[in-house]
Amino acid sequence: MSDPILAILWAQWRTLLNFRRGHGMGSFVLPALAILAWYGTWAMLAVTIGFFVSQPGVRRMLPLVLPNGLLAVFVYWQLTPLLTASMGASIDLRKLLVFPIPARRLFEVEVLLRLSTCIEMMLLVSGLAAGLLVNPALPHRNGTLAFLPFIVFNLLVSAGLRNQMERWMARRRVRELIVLFVLLAAAVPQLLFVTGVPGPLRWFVSAQAQMWWPWSATARLASGEGTAALWLVLLGWTIAALFFGRWQFARSLRFDAAAAESRGRTSGESRPWLDRLYRVPGMLFSDPLAVIIEKELRSLLRTPRFRLVFLMGFTFGVIVFLPIILRRGGGPLPPGDHLAMVSGYALLLLGDVAFWNVFGFDRSAAQLYFLLPMPISRVFAGKNIAALFFVFLEITAIICVWAAFRMPLTAVKAAEAYAVALTFSLYLLGAGNVSSVYYPRAINPERSTGAASAGRLRAMLLLIYPAAAIPILLAYGARYAFESDTAFWSVIAIAAALGAAFYWVALDSALERIERNKDKILRTLSEGEGPVRLS
Amino acid sequence: MEDASPAIRVADLRKIYGDKAAVDGLTLEVPRGCFFGFLGPNGAGKTTTIRMLIGLTPPSSGSIELLGLPMPEQALAIKRKIGLVPDESLLFDRLTGAEFLEFVGRMYGLGRPVAKERARELLNLFELDGNPRQLIAEYSKGMRKRIAMAASIIHRPELFLMDEPFEGVDAVGARMMKDLLLDQVRQGATIFLTSHVLEVVERLCDRVAIIHEGRLVMESAIGELRLGADTLEDVFVRTVGGERAIEKLDWL
Repeated sequence: MSDPILAILWAQWRTLLNFRRGHGMGSFVLPALAILAWYGTWAMLAVTIGFFVSQPGVRRMLPLVLPNGLLAVFVYWQLTPLLTASMGASIDLRKLLVFPIPARRLFEVEVLLRLSTCIEMMLLVSGLAAGLLVNPALPHRNGTLAFLPFIVFNLLVSAGLRNQMERWMARRRVRELIVLFVLLAAAVPQLLFVTGVPGPLRWFVSAQAQMWWPWSATARLASGEGTAALWLVLLGWTIAALFFGRWQFARSLRFDAAAAESRGRTSGESRPWLDRLYRVPGMLFSDPLAVIIEKELRSLLRTPRFRLVFLMGFTFGVIVFLPIILRRGGGPLPPGDHLAMVSGYALLLLGDVAFWNVFGFDRSAAQLYFLLPMPISRVFAGKNIAALFFVFLEITAIICVWAAFRMPLTAVKAAEAYAVALTFSLYLLGAGNVSSVYYPRAINPERSTGAASAGRLRAMLLLIYPAAAIPILLAYGARYAFESDTAFWSVIAIAAALGAAFYWVALDSALERIERNKDKILRTLSEGEGPVRLS
Repeated sequence: MEDASPAIRVADLRKIYGDKAAVDGLTLEVPRGCFFGFLGPNGAGKTTTIRMLIGLTPPSSGSIELLGLPMPEQALAIKRKIGLVPDESLLFDRLTGAEFLEFVGRMYGLGRPVAKERARELLNLFELDGNPRQLIAEYSKGMRKRIAMAASIIHRPELFLMDEPFEGVDAVGARMMKDLLLDQVRQGATIFLTSHVLEVVERLCDRVAIIHEGRLVMESAIGELRLGADTLEDVFVRTVGGERAIEKLDWL
């Protein structure tokens, strides 16, 4: 008899190998380097922490530091997948439910796959455990075994939360609000930084070690306080997490995404004002360009993932910079430049859905563009104009938020935000057109989270974004160097002209590539995934 | 002793999406060893019915019994006995045909050597063994249907649920698939099939049912339908009220 879990893992392994075959070794080098750099940093941090806690003198600090450190591990473990909109690997229930696999076995795979979302924390906890193990001042070194149930506890909670989130995400209208709420909740530390930590929270942090939380129990056990009661507490939490994880997983198995999606949908829905908005391109451009822009406006606004990112731009984008904006005595930038900074950040967010993979939401329907009697350059132009329209809308929304919260705002600063966003967009659009034909990837528009661009490209973005921002940074450099707004506007004008030239050159390159490789591009846009979904 | 329960028994099955009933009070019995055609216009509820039968979509109300076992209470036991050819692709694009069939075989509990051997034989039978390194992503639509059909029989199911199995398949492939299915029926398997190709249904099926706007509007042995000069297409169009004059389009 074959074990279905082994079969699933084997199929996923073959899927990854075949992907490498299809895309060549080059596809793996950049992502591999980026992964190495990321986890290498965490591994170094783990070694440092391990070294720190291995010192005998640290024992006195452990009762305060360790419970709060493990609380931070717990928060990071559970929240990071939500904040990065990247929930890691999970089994694709839609494809696997047809097979006779007991739910218990599927749950085991699901929990194992949760390891993929928090390798960073596994490294940290390993470093911590190793350091405590060799600390000669601790009485019961086998207390470090407490990290094992602590890890299992985190995996199980993470599996449960993921399943709950997935179901929420499937609910029409509600999903964006939920994700936005989670993201805004994540900005609480920023707000606390500005407002100061309130009294009850201070008490909670200082009283951590005395409480019966799983992180407190783990910390006390790991520091050598080996009592049976603490083990019981930790195991009790782990068993509760097991029930929570399995309960949520069972609910997901019974969940009907199509029915959830249909809730809140009313037949014959009509919004005349929105329809008038869609018709605006028709007044400014002639067909087929106008109809392509109109199609983009309609489809992007109906795409949950796009709506979420757009909302994030003027909410989360503003909150995340609050500590800098509200810092007394000024931060690294003069107060007047904060609006442009937030606008630039909003463009980074929009990039994933509007620049880097412009055919991603079209998926296999992209072949229509090659059948229509018009040059494909019109399609790029239409998609780019629609993206610029949303950039304009995003900046306008940010300015409204700015004004609503009475942050420093003048007409010139608002114009500056538009100018910076437009100039930055020219470079991003140019690079995005090229990346869309070199690294296309089909995206499910209904899913609000997950990476919207190919892995290789995501690694390259670490270079592309800073490079595209250089002209903008030069403009601000000119302002500070010459203490002159004229210098700023002159450099921005030159940067915009260069951006336009870059855009045309990049577009030519994209057009040449798409003609040569249309088969491969269309095939990639039609592809599905393996038994394990990576998001 | 042979089980006398029907292969499929559904009673008052409903599936509601929002304010719309995709399936509305469907009651149906399909005898064992029957080649059953389940017909209906687009959006009639055929695919939703199949998804409910296999347990992919929970019904809003009603009961389902497959091969004498209640769904979803005996879901695992039922799934072991079912072969599914879905309408949408449940294939893993980044596997080769052989890898996919081996995967499916192992998921149904076949040992690895057995799954591998059957995969090889099925690829040969379905003429998909031309390029062993070809990924499913590179398959044509007809090839995808063929690999889905091959996957549905690898564990020798007693009941086949097939949603448009011949869609996109060439004449040679379709003939082979039909022969294979008829042979399965002769061996005692039951086939529940949806298709828009009514000639195929007419030729293969013992019984047909027509569903329209989620409701069963007709069920009959194919022989009874053939009384008179009417073809299945005539009966179908008349039943679902699709007869209408082609409007004159001035611009055409």
